[in-house]
Amino acid sequence: MTEVPFPQLSKERPDAEGVLSTWFVTDGQAVAADQLLAEVQVDKVSVEVPAPAAGVVHLLVEEEAAVRQGEPIARIE
Amino acid sequence: MTVTDTPTVPAPRASRRLTTSKAMVEAIAHEMERNPEVIYLGEDVGAYGGIFSSTTGLLDRFGPDRVIDTPISETAFIGLGIGAAVEGMRPIVELMFADFMGVCLDQIYNHMAKIHFESGGNVKVPMVLTTAVGGGYSDGAQHSQCLWGTFAHLPGMKVVVPSTPADAKGLMTAAIRDDNPVVYMFHKGVMGLPWMAKNPRATDDVPDGEYEVPIGKARVAREGGDVTVVTLSLSVHHALDVAETVAEDGIDVEVIDLRSLVPLDRDAILTSVSKTGRLVVVDEDYRSFGLSGEVVATVADHDPTLLRVPVQRVAVPDVPIPYSRPLEYAVLPRHDRIESAVRRAVAV
Repeated sequence: MTEVPFPQLSKERPDAEGVLSTWFVTDGQAVAADQLLAEVQVDKVSVEVPAPAAGVVHLLVEEEAAVRQGEPIARIE
Repeated sequence: MTVTDTPTVPAPRASRRLTTSKAMVEAIAHEMERNPEVIYLGEDVGAYGGIFSSTTGLLDRFGPDRVIDTPISETAFIGLGIGAAVEGMRPIVELMFADFMGVCLDQIYNHMAKIHFESGGNVKVPMVLTTAVGGGYSDGAQHSQCLWGTFAHLPGMKVVVPSTPADAKGLMTAAIRDDNPVVYMFHKGVMGLPWMAKNPRATDDVPDGEYEVPIGKARVAREGGDVTVVTLSLSVHHALDVAETVAEDGIDVEVIDLRSLVPLDRDAILTSVSKTGRLVVVDEDYRSFGLSGEVVATVADHDPTLLRVPVQRVAVPDVPIPYSRPLEYAVLPRHDRIESAVRRAVAV
């Protein structure tokens, strides 16, 4: 199992919250390594989150949810 | 003319969900890879990636010789693009906001659009002018206009306006490969930007690999038998939402996504109105002297007896777009005004 963390976007505030802007996959979907999973943002800076491994993805947070950087947003099994 | 079987999405192709902006960038990257003559230039298109994410990642992939940040002089860099196109390159030039056409219109309509004609057809200008349009996010009267009717009014340019991620990719590919100047107008509200108001229809399946959506073919975004809504760009998304709402009351709405103003798919308009006899035109541009009147004239020119009831036009009244959110929402063609127009059209 691989956890997918919310990426660290703000170095000045490592515990800052961000937003899960868009999921590009659905819960239970099979994904390839490096496939685009989500777009997240902190303070209007957005980045893409690719799949770190292939497998079946389980989404742990909803779109628009506030998430602390480093916290898991998905699991890949 | 069959608009229903336009091959936007060939069946066996694999796809992924993408935002409209990512789909647009994917098309540009494909074309830059296959043709070294394709370049992109404009304000903040390099390191910034386009202020509406029209070029995200292109600088890293293709370098500063092909993804070029320009000074703030639209006349200079659009003219530069025209010169490059005349010499055989295929430049994509970004005008950051369509509203800024005022400072560079001579290059656009007197040069880009006319050189082919003035040269007796001997000189081609295979250029794409990309530009962001539309309101709904309180950016004021000088940053919220659509103005596609103005571009379409001036002869010599194709004018394409994608509404979906799949079309954004296919129309961009077609625009780059077209030997004519093509104005590619992307509404900020369809791009799927994380910092704009959430638009679920701005993220959708996009076919892998290369494909073209032919310029000048409308798309039936939703089939219906009671009333035709002819629209384009972000208003397609609003019209589809309204169609779902009124379906609960048994009103069956057909939504036509024009995809381009030039060429205008008049056959698609006539085919749908022949079926429903009721026409609502939804246009985020100004009401008078524009697209909505042209769509209605298309029906009147062909056969006014197709219309069983008067036409409803939902457009921006002829005033500058307000900054204040409640006032802005009052002038934009949003769900409330579209739904009222649809209900008026079927009430008769």
